[in-house]
Amino acid sequence: MTVQPAAGGGIAQRPSASGLADVIDTILDKGLVIDAYVRVSLVGIELVTVDARIVVASVDTYLRFAQAVNRLDLAEQSKGLPEIMSDMKQGAVASKGKDVIQGVLESAADKLEDIVGRPGQEAEQPAPRRRRGED
Amino acid sequence: MSTSEATGARQASGDEQGGTARTGTYVYGIVPSDVEVSDDARGVGGESAKVDVIRHGEIAALVSELSLDRPLGTPNDLVAHEGLLDATAAEVPVLPIRFGAVVTGPEAVVDELLAPHHDDFLSALRELEGKAQYVIKGRYVEQTVLREIMHEHPELADLREQIRNQPEEVTRDARISIGETVNQAISAKRDADTQAVIEAVTPICTLTSLRDPSHELDAVHLAVLIETDRQGDLEAALGKLAERWADRVALRLLGPLAPYDFTVAPSAGES
Repeated sequence: MTVQPAAGGGIAQRPSASGLADVIDTILDKGLVIDAYVRVSLVGIELVTVDARIVVASVDTYLRFAQAVNRLDLAEQSKGLPEIMSDMKQGAVASKGKDVIQGVLESAADKLEDIVGRPGQEAEQPAPRRRRGED
Repeated sequence: MSTSEATGARQASGDEQGGTARTGTYVYGIVPSDVEVSDDARGVGGESAKVDVIRHGEIAALVSELSLDRPLGTPNDLVAHEGLLDATAAEVPVLPIRFGAVVTGPEAVVDELLAPHHDDFLSALRELEGKAQYVIKGRYVEQTVLREIMHEHPELADLREQIRNQPEEVTRDARISIGETVNQAISAKRDADTQAVIEAVTPICTLTSLRDPSHELDAVHLAVLIETDRQGDLEAALGKLAERWADRVALRLLGPLAPYDFTVAPSAGES
């Protein structure tokens, strides 16, 4: 048992809900495998999780990118590139980077509260805590 | 489900001999033995899945009783598993066990999991003291990154003319050629931008672990282990990148999470 970076494994197919996608990315093929420790008393229970897979570029991916490039053309025709570029710069001004990422952090915290406090679990944060501080 | 409430409400470990037909003990993770779980914590399996702590020496397992009547893996199951572990990781060190670990009963948790591996688990928990995992995800803004690529690959302009207003069937080769170039260009950008993120966060982190991309427009997918009181430093470092990449990469930081990407089991046969 060591604490070190685990070798990357397959990545889950993403379902529609983005919160759930994050959960699946994180837990599906990661964490300690109980079989490595418990040999006799394992209970084989059927798992119905989505299949793990690695994202590999396929013809479908290529065709989708081509279509996006095609659509991008149309957008440029109707607006004109210089105009778009200046729009982009305006968007990039105002150092909102920090806000962006802080907003993200808050929503990550929201996500955890959602998870812990979802319907049927009225507790606000029933997290395990230390009995006696020993930090 | 409702019939198991009586057993779920009973005292934690000990007084029920597990291993009978219809229930098992679901194991979430390993924690220090001085951890307590509030009465209202629920795990995989809904209302009846009261989370208990089974202690042995200086370590303990977070568990709940599980009805074996149905397969595991609904969205609620997955979310309950990660939710409990992440809420734990925000407070104390925890070794997360992979989703779906079920043993016959509480005594098996002690006899086969905690007792034989006590010292290994304890030293890993000590290494993790005060630390937690965070995940950095970046996704390219498609319009922006495509414009970048169009500028960097002038040869795409001709191909784009060929497919414009033409049906897919008659321009398949040109489309595949465009797609291949775009995909290669994104891969190269992903490598460079991932490297930029790693360089920015490495001074703050104890360990980093690269994840495979989970989407073709992923700019970065990286797990990091940091001391939780350096979360502010991590946010600041990523904030700078987010500012530099505004409208180009949507950056997200998830955490604190249990150290899923940093716990490695010995290969079978060891220990």
